[in-house]
Amino acid sequence: MPKVTVDGIEVEVPAGATVLQACEEAGKEIPRFCYHERLSIAGNCRMCLVEMEKAPKPIASCAFPAADGMVIKTDTPLVKKARNGVMEFLLANHPLDCPICDQGGECDLQDQAMAYGAGSSRFLENKRAVEDKHMGPLIKTIMTRCIHCTRCIRFASEVAGVDDLGAVYRGENMQITTYLEKALASELSANVIDLCPVGALTSKPYAFEARPWELKKTPSVDVMDAVGSAIRVDSRGSEVLRVLPRVNEAVNEEWISDKTRYACDGLLRQRLDTPYVRKNGKLMPVEWPEALQTVADRLRRTPAEKIGAIAGDTVDVEAMYALKSLLEGLGVASLDCRQDGTKLTAGPRAGYIFNSAIAGIEEADFILLVGSNPRVEAPIVNARIRKRWLTGKLKVASIGAPADLTYDAENLGDSPTLLGDLVSGKHDLAEALSKAERPMVIVGQGALTRADGAAILAQARALAEKVSLVRDGWNGFNVLHTAASRVGGLDLGFVPGAGGKDVAGILAGAEAGEIETVYLLAADEIDTDRLKNAFVIYQGHHGDRGAHVADVILPGAAYTEKDGIYVNTEGRVQLGRMAVFPPGDAREDWKILRALSEGLGRTLPYDSLAQLRQKLVADYPIFAQVDHAEGGEWGSFGTEGTVDAAAFAYPIQNFYMTDPISRASVTMAKCTEAFVLTSAADQQEKTGTHG
Amino acid sequence: MAFVDRSARAFLLTELVSGMALTLKYFFRPKVTLNYPYEKGPISARFRGEHALRRYPNGEERCIACKLCEAVCPALAITIEAEPRADGSRRTTRYDIDMTKCIYCGFCQEACPVDAIVEGPNFEFATETREELFYNKDKLLANGDRWEAEIAANLRIDAPYR
Amino acid sequence: MADFWDGYALPTIIILAQILAIMVPLLVAVAYLTLAERKVIAGMQMRTGPAKVGPFGLLQPLADGLKLFGKETILPAGANRLVFIMAPMLTFVLAMVAWAVIPVGDGMVIADINVGILYLFAISSLGVYGIIMAGWASNSKYPFLGALRSAAQMVSYEVSIGFVIITVLLCVGSLNLSDIVNAQKTVWFAIPLLPMFVVFFISALAETNRAPFDLPEGESELVAGYFVEYSSMSFALFFLGEYANMILMSAMTTILFLGGWLPPFDIAPLNWIPGPIWFALKIALVLFLFLWVRATFPRYRYDQLMRLGWKVFLPLSLVWVILTAGVLVAFDWLPA
Repeated sequence: MPKVTVDGIEVEVPAGATVLQACEEAGKEIPRFCYHERLSIAGNCRMCLVEMEKAPKPIASCAFPAADGMVIKTDTPLVKKARNGVMEFLLANHPLDCPICDQGGECDLQDQAMAYGAGSSRFLENKRAVEDKHMGPLIKTIMTRCIHCTRCIRFASEVAGVDDLGAVYRGENMQITTYLEKALASELSANVIDLCPVGALTSKPYAFEARPWELKKTPSVDVMDAVGSAIRVDSRGSEVLRVLPRVNEAVNEEWISDKTRYACDGLLRQRLDTPYVRKNGKLMPVEWPEALQTVADRLRRTPAEKIGAIAGDTVDVEAMYALKSLLEGLGVASLDCRQDGTKLTAGPRAGYIFNSAIAGIEEADFILLVGSNPRVEAPIVNARIRKRWLTGKLKVASIGAPADLTYDAENLGDSPTLLGDLVSGKHDLAEALSKAERPMVIVGQGALTRADGAAILAQARALAEKVSLVRDGWNGFNVLHTAASRVGGLDLGFVPGAGGKDVAGILAGAEAGEIETVYLLAADEIDTDRLKNAFVIYQGHHGDRGAHVADVILPGAAYTEKDGIYVNTEGRVQLGRMAVFPPGDAREDWKILRALSEGLGRTLPYDSLAQLRQKLVADYPIFAQVDHAEGGEWGSFGTEGTVDAAAFAYPIQNFYMTDPISRASVTMAKCTEAFVLTSAADQQEKTGTHG
Repeated sequence: MAFVDRSARAFLLTELVSGMALTLKYFFRPKVTLNYPYEKGPISARFRGEHALRRYPNGEERCIACKLCEAVCPALAITIEAEPRADGSRRTTRYDIDMTKCIYCGFCQEACPVDAIVEGPNFEFATETREELFYNKDKLLANGDRWEAEIAANLRIDAPYR
Repeated sequence: MADFWDGYALPTIIILAQILAIMVPLLVAVAYLTLAERKVIAGMQMRTGPAKVGPFGLLQPLADGLKLFGKETILPAGANRLVFIMAPMLTFVLAMVAWAVIPVGDGMVIADINVGILYLFAISSLGVYGIIMAGWASNSKYPFLGALRSAAQMVSYEVSIGFVIITVLLCVGSLNLSDIVNAQKTVWFAIPLLPMFVVFFISALAETNRAPFDLPEGESELVAGYFVEYSSMSFALFFLGEYANMILMSAMTTILFLGGWLPPFDIAPLNWIPGPIWFALKIALVLFLFLWVRATFPRYRYDQLMRLGWKVFLPLSLVWVILTAGVLVAFDWLPA
């Protein structure tokens, strides 16, 4: 533990820390461009120069290991002069185009030039000009602005795990490039935009849209996947203009996936902004009272056993709770929140959450992926695994179709029977698992949504018990969800009650006429064609599959338009916040249900969100623990049964389009075109380098 | 003696009379009124009148949608929306000034890095309806085209002092 | 039939003609007084005043009148309608009826009554009712404050005006206005009774609510005083009444102190000019004084106004009544 004196303040830093970290510890802000806490150290911008006693010249604090007895000065005239010099060199070749630069207003170079810039230029020669590079549909490049900090290169190769970015030439002529002019093929690619300290890499969909000072910034959580990344929703007026990551060390560190970041333009398209009622086969816009009356009449007329309700993947807990209370009051048992048909049940909580928590990955030393491709299902989780893997202390094995996970994973095969082999000890990997100090099994929805999902879950539990995944202070049994509302729904018990039908049952029942009325709460990921015979009430925000078959549409709010509780795959209860108002006549979902309950004569006992939450917490205390991942008791879950030998299929085919919002997004459509529909060879064909 | 003096003044109304003598004197002085629509007073090169968006001599609009004027406007009279133009350059799709909000402080032209938005020498832009005072980009560009000669001359005169 | 014709119809027609002969020039004079006011004040402020409507702005009063006529008459919701509408009419009518006894020339008077001066005094005192009614009926605070101020102010200054008139009457020995004018054949009363002339003029300013005594209207404090709530023609009637009152007070000043229709000196060619012309010229002179004063002096504070009325003018005029009476008795100059 070296002791370092920074500007007269003595601080103790962990061994291996840098001088810059010591300075931060002492509360001194050190300007920097290339240094980033989550990336390796490059030491090439020289902005972090500080003075060290007994050193002949200023040292680059970011790359200089702190040693015992060092005396550092950060605010001497020498330091100031050195930094001024560095800044002058940086600005010599940096274009003076701040007015047209999208980074303007949130630019590290701009900010630091205010402190260290000369105010006028002595550079009379021609400035350098660099050709812009093609980096796909998300990243706009203006490479003349680049100051060669190499943060983007380090991010791509270290965090994203794709070696697509690199530098060519040297010195002033250095250029950051994708070599082959192909898009940065990573689900985390757009994080380089946040990392870029200047305006060289900016957001293409957001180009020239707004200035940071115009935006209302709302901290919220993401619902595009089950990770629940911390996000900041930037809005202007009634439009969400962009989504940026917030730091949440426990969940997403400071990265978010491209879908999280860019699906927000889907919030402006295909929106349901007024209630509709189907009249003579056509959906006609109506006023709220008429729509609610129609729904209430229908629900009152239909016998409770002929009513089914399905909650979607991005629904907040409050809406599900309100719907559950309302329908259970009517005696309806056919409720389900498991659109994808996953065989997880509302049993012991440890049986359906990511028990070790995402941060727990950093302790794991052996991970077995079962029917899961985390790179597509939860890129943030995948980045964590890669982060751990990079330390060399992690071994990864997978059961499922081989996939590029950005790290080496031993593929055991793609048959579910392998699980049985592991349990019975036929496979020698079980040995390694039980020997590992912190073993982890990640069961994906690819394994659980099959018809034999319950049996696979039971085998996974058997494996967990066999290799003692659950040890003192460690539970390595992890379920990786793909839907933001799933854990919340299971926590609520939004599953079939006694004699109730699950999603498959409701769909089959609707076809057979056993179910006459179906309430879809933003549920779109089902085969809605099978609902044609039933009266469908769709409450949601997008005119997607569910709305197309609906007989009544109640326009609800998307995740940026309501305050809501979401529970991520770890079982972490998080608060999403309202950034903008729902469009048109659309309303927050719980309010719609509250109004509907009044029409049914079974008024729900709350008039405000606060009252609803009080009631919710009284019924389900788990939701009181906001921002906390509550582990669950181990118990019996899954059903013993025969396991089909058919190979695991991954649940997500197209990462960029998984829900109504991303399906409505133009940017996501462009990404689908660029990354999913086009093979790498075709991509190269398209760029102008082939003549 | 002072008392007598004061009383005499009060009773003889000398102050009132001298005051009235003064106003009468002014009554016969030449008048300073300008016969406005036919005569106009001189205005400074820095006069802050009606807004205009200027163009470069080649016809390209100057405004690059940096939104600094919008940010600096103390009356929040300016509204700008921007997106990339077909050629990739940064341009406004909307540039509105609510002239009923504007306080003619001139901060917008001070903030403008490309001398695009200026307050020209025109002060005769009264309208019959409020709506006509909600200027859009077309109106502002038309103003620029109309007043370019005067605006350019004023900027030239003022340039040495900037 | 002949009786009817000679006894009723003809006199009625004659009276109507006489009324018209007074009213029409009076209303025209009122109209142009507004223009003159703006022109005079503008001149004293080195401006030109209205100059756009007609040559030298001569059609300006017409334009103003048309504008007022075209406006909407607003009846405030809380107002007492009857009183609210009656107030401007009363003010206007009072300003007009006073002219019945004003002799514009030798024998040129509609009603040559013996108590002419008393009648005038009574009518001008009644003017305060119009204002009080307007202020009260508006049911609004500024008009009410304005009306209260106005009432107090007019009543205060009428006292000194009364004493001033008594001084003049002492010298004349008649309440008939024509007699008063004729008594000034040798010398205008303005010369022997100069202090009273000044007191009367200043009191006239206060009586007509003119600057510097325009507290009832004080734009900067009471918006527009008692006629805040008035618009269009009801406002115009107030306006006309007020300016007609100014002319009336000028006429009174002329009759009492400036020799009415008499020329300054009874010599040719001055006495070739007919009496009404002289009368009009003198009124114009006094009116010019009104405007001149307005252009020169700032508004009085209310306590100053009251102090001046009660503690300066009242004692002063009282002293002058006694002094005049004493001098008349001592030198046996009493009129027959």
